[in-house]
Amino acid sequence: MSKHIMFHGRECPHCRAMMPLVDRLIAEGFAIEKLEVWHDEKNADLMRSYRPVIAAKCGGQLRVPTFLNPETSDAVCGEIPYEKLKEWASS
Amino acid sequence: MKKKFWRCFVCNDVHWGFKPPEICPTCKVAHAYVEISAKEAKACLGPLPEPGFTKADFRRAIEVFAAPNQFKVNPDTERVDLLLEGMFSNEQNHGLRYCPCRLRSKDFEEDLKIVCPCNFLIHETYQGLEKGECWCGLFIKR
Repeated sequence: MSKHIMFHGRECPHCRAMMPLVDRLIAEGFAIEKLEVWHDEKNADLMRSYRPVIAAKCGGQLRVPTFLNPETSDAVCGEIPYEKLKEWASS
Repeated sequence: MKKKFWRCFVCNDVHWGFKPPEICPTCKVAHAYVEISAKEAKACLGPLPEPGFTKADFRRAIEVFAAPNQFKVNPDTERVDLLLEGMFSNEQNHGLRYCPCRLRSKDFEEDLKIVCPCNFLIHETYQGLEKGECWCGLFIKR
């Protein structure tokens, strides 16, 4: 199974809303690494390094939360229903 | 085209933009602005007040900003408090009240687009939607 990254912000309400869904997927065996980007510049730089991939899928900007599959360079962002996120993480 | 500084020769208001205001919004005198240097603009502004803008000040400012518009500040106070926490943290750590639901690119001009309030009217989460909102949900359509 591919390893995924969730880029999130500590004070982002969308990110906060998605956390229980992400934790549920992790509990089900999905490999999702959660990286906070506003209080960790290393994580922020990593997210910036994926700007072409992320911006293309997220309104031309770096938005959080962003879910990234580094292997396939696929990304989705924002609040997503659990089933949709699971389907994306499974593909 | 690059923005320039302009000073009202009557009341010393400073404007930053492509063109000067035709009528000074403070003293109402017409054709009163002259182009000045950034150094002069900074000097005209004088020492900035400390400790600056509080969360309560900003909250009040966005309520006033929203009042005549077709959007309002989200009545979900828990959400607004969290967003303000993030914006003020970003101001302290990164210089400006950047949206906590996006990430700055480190390109100053580009990053001005994510300072709150941003121009969310053009965002796909707002434009053309009956229940539109800015990306972070601070502002929602009435």
